[in-house]
Amino acid sequence: MRRVAVSGIGVISPLGNSALEVLVNARAGRSGIRRLDSAFAKRLAAPIAAMIRLDPAPELDPIKARMLDRFSTLAVFAANQAVQSSFGALTGLDRARAGVFVGTGMGGTHSMDAGYQTLYGEQSDRIKPFTVLMGMHNAAAAWIGIDHDLRGPNLTYSTACSSSTVAIGEAWLRVACGQLDLAIAGGAEAPLSPGSLKAWDALRTVAHMDPDDPSASCRPFSKNRSGMVLGEGAAMLILEPWDRAVARGAPVIGEILGYGQSNDASHITKPSIAGQAAAMLEALRAANINPQQVDAINAHGTGTQANDRTETAAIRAVFGSRADQIPISATKAMHGHLLGAAGALECVLSLLAMHDKIALPTMHLSQPDPECDLDYVANMTRIGVAARVMLSNSFAFGGSNAVLVLKGVNANGRY
Amino acid sequence: MTTTYAKLSAILIKEYKLTPDQLSLDASLQDLGIDSLGFVELLFTLEDAFNIKLPSDPVGLTRLGDVVDYVDQLIAEQEAPIITQLNSI
Repeated sequence: MRRVAVSGIGVISPLGNSALEVLVNARAGRSGIRRLDSAFAKRLAAPIAAMIRLDPAPELDPIKARMLDRFSTLAVFAANQAVQSSFGALTGLDRARAGVFVGTGMGGTHSMDAGYQTLYGEQSDRIKPFTVLMGMHNAAAAWIGIDHDLRGPNLTYSTACSSSTVAIGEAWLRVACGQLDLAIAGGAEAPLSPGSLKAWDALRTVAHMDPDDPSASCRPFSKNRSGMVLGEGAAMLILEPWDRAVARGAPVIGEILGYGQSNDASHITKPSIAGQAAAMLEALRAANINPQQVDAINAHGTGTQANDRTETAAIRAVFGSRADQIPISATKAMHGHLLGAAGALECVLSLLAMHDKIALPTMHLSQPDPECDLDYVANMTRIGVAARVMLSNSFAFGGSNAVLVLKGVNANGRY
Repeated sequence: MTTTYAKLSAILIKEYKLTPDQLSLDASLQDLGIDSLGFVELLFTLEDAFNIKLPSDPVGLTRLGDVVDYVDQLIAEQEAPIITQLNSI
């Protein structure tokens, strides 16, 4: 197996629209969660979400932009940024050995929602001709492949909230085993359409809005947590063989060491300690890393009662008494739950945190929970954390668990 | 300049972000970035804009002038009195 470097990052998210912006805001503990002020928001039990503060569409050819759902627009933006930041990863590349791996849970939900509004809301048959092309889950990956002339596998993974962790993991496998020389891998999600917001509302997993500070509504691992907050965004990585990246003098940000998956096979929503632990153990096995070598974890940490309690127990099951010494960051408190893009954004945050020798904070953790008794880096960034190996956990409705093992590159650029 | 051409130009400038200097009756749709797939969507837009019903597969429309002529023809046909339409059957 070959070593796999991360040599480019692209991000558009509620915490900022570049790796630097995201890191600065996350480090400061700023929240991208806001109160929704649209007319439709009045119909939501909790009118809050984590939104992007940038219109990426002007960067696109206007005629092409008409064919992209918001999730594809975000994906294309992030992929372009990742390619630019790689300083030439595509140069001299055999395009047949380059692939695209994108995770998304909801796909083109804005376009489908608009179509249903026409059909049922307006009682009209005039659904826009591009609805299928915009709504299909593989649209984002397809456009990235077209934009960058990548002719190898073009794959889309939809495993709900672990989608982009799976996408990165599958891309890692292809590059590591020698099948591919480059992959653009990550996730994109734009779930803030009225129909999607209302559907999540109906499932009663969305956090209550904090009336004093809506931006503090998501509280992972805090006893008073009340659920997740939906967020939109995309994060893309450039993965390439370590030797190729180093040989071309690429700005290597980190390394993917391995990835593991498991399936709960028990309940469609209820998380499983055994299932989550199995994914972490499988990731460690694939990475050839033992639990003693894990320095920090980016938790799935959604802020739901069930996930955070279960994840705590799963981490204990894997790491035993050493679990108490591992800093655990639940960054969804700041950027919200990007569903199929969450794992990719959290992978990026983990690599940046290791680069900066910090552990990012779990914000709004105001009430300790006896069932969540690990070191969650509560409310303030911890500096001087010399983490070299991190896990990034992603667990999903349906029971599809996925975990990445990441290795950092320190600020001196040493590998 | 016909009314139809002016209306079509306005749509292309507003919604497709084309500039006036790109537009002329001789301008090719392909050169404007509107390929066969894009044309499907343009037809949909034209149906709404001109309140006409286009056949599912119009052919031979390669220039803006062709589109203008075709739309004018359909407007004339579809606005024609029913008795005229019946006589033409």
